[in-house]
Amino acid sequence: MILPVWNESQKRSALILFGIASAGAGISIAIGEIGARFSKIWACLSSFALKNSIPTALLTPLSMIIQCSILIGFISVSVMFMVWWERKVSAHMQNRLGPMFTGGWHGWAQTIADAIKLLLKEDIIPAEANPWVHRLAPIVAFVPAFLCYAALPFGEGLISADLDIGILYIFAISGLSVLGIVMAGWGSGNKYSLLGGLRAAAQSVSYEIPRVLSVVPILMMVGSLKLTSIANVQTGFWQIAGIPVLPKWFIFYPIVGQIAFLIFLISSVAETNRTPFDIAEAESELVAGFHTEYSGMKFSFFFLAEYAYVFLSSGLTTVLFLGGGSGPILPSWSWFLLKSFAVVFLFLWFRWTFPRLRVDRLMEFTWKFLLPWSFVNILITGFILLF
Amino acid sequence: MFNYFKTIYKVGKALIQGMMVTWKSFWQPAVTVQFPDEKLNTPERFRGALTFDKETCTACNLCIKACPTACISLEPAVDPATKKRIAKVSWYQIDFGKCNYCRLCEEACPTKPIKSVRHTHQYEWGMLERKEMLVKWERMIPSTEPLTSTNMKPI
Repeated sequence: MILPVWNESQKRSALILFGIASAGAGISIAIGEIGARFSKIWACLSSFALKNSIPTALLTPLSMIIQCSILIGFISVSVMFMVWWERKVSAHMQNRLGPMFTGGWHGWAQTIADAIKLLLKEDIIPAEANPWVHRLAPIVAFVPAFLCYAALPFGEGLISADLDIGILYIFAISGLSVLGIVMAGWGSGNKYSLLGGLRAAAQSVSYEIPRVLSVVPILMMVGSLKLTSIANVQTGFWQIAGIPVLPKWFIFYPIVGQIAFLIFLISSVAETNRTPFDIAEAESELVAGFHTEYSGMKFSFFFLAEYAYVFLSSGLTTVLFLGGGSGPILPSWSWFLLKSFAVVFLFLWFRWTFPRLRVDRLMEFTWKFLLPWSFVNILITGFILLF
Repeated sequence: MFNYFKTIYKVGKALIQGMMVTWKSFWQPAVTVQFPDEKLNTPERFRGALTFDKETCTACNLCIKACPTACISLEPAVDPATKKRIAKVSWYQIDFGKCNYCRLCEEACPTKPIKSVRHTHQYEWGMLERKEMLVKWERMIPSTEPLTSTNMKPI
């Protein structure tokens, strides 16, 4: 039995949650497709520019600036939400309550207060540190995370750069932020930071390989690297005698889909340096790993980058395996967000269930288990496509 | 080969089991007590801060003799007419910096039916200075003035 019998207070909170969910659904139906609305607003703006003889060369940078601000806003708000959510989920998994005071209802404003505190904190550069490397590291860690969001389709028409090589671009750019972590480890002048940075580098480089290879079956089936077309292939249902049974999501493809999904999920958790693969910032061994010597705004940038990657991985999982924005009734962006946050919950669930892996076990797991199985998966896909 | 798949099955099963444990805890009610808003009931024989009833005390000194840390001191009242000591207390002082909340004074106290020195259930008590720990109850005789305690309100 998974769900225990509920008492009165649990019933009340379930009712509140149901109310929030239905209110969210109603609002998102009322808003409708954001992508279409954005393009209408943009058409209005550009016609206004044409009328007032504003040079069209200004329009492209303006649109980029607008898209960047929307993405930055989305990243910071979703990261704040995820931090609060993680604290609540972790607390409830340990029969605690988590933040309850700030903001009134279940401490919803806790991360806002934390963010303000982090921005106001003193910025310390240790005497042993290499100041420029130390200063640059958070930027180098965060910028790739932000760049990756450019090619992530949030739903129909909600993608700032619909690249033909979208998935390749995301994997390539997200690999860059290891550099920031190694720079943080080296530039801090602290042996724990250095150890954490080196571990992070080894781990990220190793797990990148099965992560990319687990996506190859999808690329073979779809025949495209474009994320929107991958998401579009997965719309609709498989039908048995005219009755829709399962959505055409890639995770429901027999055998191949499940293996690919598991490998992608495990290596995504490892890529984002989260427990059970958090040896890079193992609190009980390395203080805090690569960001031991960071405080204030720089620390908050590392935090932002980590959680941005968590959401990016969840969004990628949604687009690749869970059908992107496809779904009934609700508009595509809310389906995308729902599925992504479900995967984020899976990440949190992993984090608060599994103990940390040892370094050698970690490497053994990726090279001797995930990598061969991703090759096997590609082979099976080849056979399926052949016959 | 068989053992390999058996290991994979066992490990996968163990992982799912572990996740089910946290899933069940996730839906259980939290055990946290939100302290300033919610308070647990103290046990019946809880030894909180001491209180003193200056009207019933007979100034018999038994509590002073019983106290292992010598934190209690008192002075008996004197009748101004006869200049003789009476079975009333003039002032009574407890040094809560020394008190170890052992209940020996309450057990020694002979007043009935309610002991004049006794423990309460009060545990939220913070002090900023050493001298605040000296709590003194004063009883002026004869006097029509209202009785006051110097620091702490008698509970």
